[in-house]
Amino acid sequence: MVDKKALAYINMFAVLGTLENLCDLDQKAKDILKNAKPVSIGFDVKDGPKATLSFEDGKCMLTEGCDDCDIKLPFSSVDKFNGLIDGTYTPIPNKGFSKIGFLLKTFIALTDRLNEVMRPTEEALKDPEFFTLNTVLTFYTVTVAISQLGNNDAVSRFSASNMEDGDILVSIKDGPKSIIHVKDHILTTEKEGEGNPRCVMEFASMELANDLFNDKVNSLACIGDGAILMKGMISMLDNMNRILDRVSMYLA
Amino acid sequence: MSFPEYNHDKSRELFNRAKKVIPSGVYGHLGPAEGLFIPVEKWPLFSERAEGTYFWDVDGNKYIDYMCAYGPNVLGYNDPDVDAAAMAQLKLGNCTSSPGKIMVECAEMLVDTVASADWCYFAKNGNDTTQMAIMTARAYTHRKKIIFFKGYYHGVSPWQAKIDYAGVLPEEVQNNIVIPWDDIPALQKAVAENKGEIAAIIAQPYDHGNFHDNVVMTKMFWEKVRKICDEEGIQLIIDDVRAGFRLDIAGSDHFFGFKADLICFCKALANGYNMSALMGREHLKNTISGMNITGSYWLSSVPFAACIATVKKMKELQIPQMFDMLGSKLINGLKMAGKEHGFDLVTSGMPALFYLRIANDDSLYLHQEWIAECVSRGVFFASHHNHFINAALTEEDINRTIEIAEDAFKAVKKNHPEMN
Repeated sequence: MVDKKALAYINMFAVLGTLENLCDLDQKAKDILKNAKPVSIGFDVKDGPKATLSFEDGKCMLTEGCDDCDIKLPFSSVDKFNGLIDGTYTPIPNKGFSKIGFLLKTFIALTDRLNEVMRPTEEALKDPEFFTLNTVLTFYTVTVAISQLGNNDAVSRFSASNMEDGDILVSIKDGPKSIIHVKDHILTTEKEGEGNPRCVMEFASMELANDLFNDKVNSLACIGDGAILMKGMISMLDNMNRILDRVSMYLA
Repeated sequence: MSFPEYNHDKSRELFNRAKKVIPSGVYGHLGPAEGLFIPVEKWPLFSERAEGTYFWDVDGNKYIDYMCAYGPNVLGYNDPDVDAAAMAQLKLGNCTSSPGKIMVECAEMLVDTVASADWCYFAKNGNDTTQMAIMTARAYTHRKKIIFFKGYYHGVSPWQAKIDYAGVLPEEVQNNIVIPWDDIPALQKAVAENKGEIAAIIAQPYDHGNFHDNVVMTKMFWEKVRKICDEEGIQLIIDDVRAGFRLDIAGSDHFFGFKADLICFCKALANGYNMSALMGREHLKNTISGMNITGSYWLSSVPFAACIATVKKMKELQIPQMFDMLGSKLINGLKMAGKEHGFDLVTSGMPALFYLRIANDDSLYLHQEWIAECVSRGVFFASHHNHFINAALTEEDINRTIEIAEDAFKAVKKNHPEMN
């Protein structure tokens, strides 16, 4: 069962957070942001996550909290915020009317592009460059979602409660990596972060990672093939993978 | 001494065939995922044959086997006495419409052997017995809740799983209470908070869980648990599936000086012939008599014959004493070999079911590398699970194991110049 509040945290930090990487890696996103003045958008969800997306010099950054932002979007419930992400709700800003042009044009263009990359057509995926972009962005979304679920979804909290302190390295060979920090059963994902991992899970290729994210192959079967390398504190990976199993349900 | 590494080309070839028709190729604890074959290329994936304490993989590589099929191999693979008894029974009959008379003989023998038990209910796997034990306790007490100790494993039925396991419903585990091992105040608190609601405590005789050093309980701990159960009308279930007969032929509860209400046996029961037994005390006999629990092969005669021969031989060989001696010799040798090469090899649990961990780092990287180097040179260990001794293991095998382990330590050290 999907918990709406946990979904809101995923939508905020894993889905909107992937705009950081889109703006870094995708030429179309760079073109959209070209000449844009610095601006920040705060998302203020009642009884839910609060975060700010800042755009400056063609870069995007998501930070927790929304006290210091140019445009503020209030949401009276997690349902309303989730509605923003699935396109069924349009918020009205309560701050930053002078910069609403960015919100209506640039930001919408960026989220449309994100949607295009993250929910691709089969045809689009035939382009190797686009395939890699889709895989890399999905990787970041998924690895951030693991922490958000581990902290906010009741069943995943149980998995997190069984995790020892330490860093987990998740990566695609010759591709992106994320470090998941575990401290007192609270998970924090650092994209391209550094750490001293107590365990490692590495996918052998972009193709394999893509197949896994799309449920075309099973991770247990891939271990036998050597297509997924796991080592170190397997109990941490075991619990992380239980959370990962639930990520697809939330991101579906 | 140097030992060449094995190759596993035929294993890989067969695995590729298996994947097409078997989910994961090899699923479960014998497979590369749950068996933690890290890295997978160092492990055999299929065996060709087995004899005594050895098995040979499909590439013809020979292994001294310390996993013993994860427990069933207690006397040695293909033990001639057990096999002869099984074959003789096979000629008489196996899976028949009316159970063989040997079933009664087997039950009588087990009731005479296991100190706490007055009756015996046969099944096939350990999971069957833990499942029946819980149902019996619930039926007898008319209560729902079960107390488990942290890190528990009692099989794969939904009630035994955890809430985050795929396919398990929250409703299926909502009556499970989990408390830490060796924490009587926590047990007292759980009992007080659920007064009159707890049907059973289910536990292995000590904490021989995976992924952590094993911790042997004291007799005093079990005495206190027993007392709480008696005072509160809680049934005490001992899951002796893994440790059963290896510590004490009369049952691990006997070893720790108490009597279980229900005790579950499987692995060592028939030296690899497929059977399990739930055994219990008189007051529960009526309850289980009225329950509808059965299976197509549960009363087959061949395993009963194997069981009688196995238990008889385990008694003759004084298996617990033998395993304690062999296990102690082995772990001492491994520790010394590790120390010589700068490795802090921690051993835990009972020598008959020893658990290994290299403690130089906090990640188990070195430990997993060393285990892999041992396996690829012919000593079949596991990096996450306790090991098993069997009666066919000789001192010569132990000496060879230590030599291979030493060579494996050297190989790991060579790959880690930072250790010098």
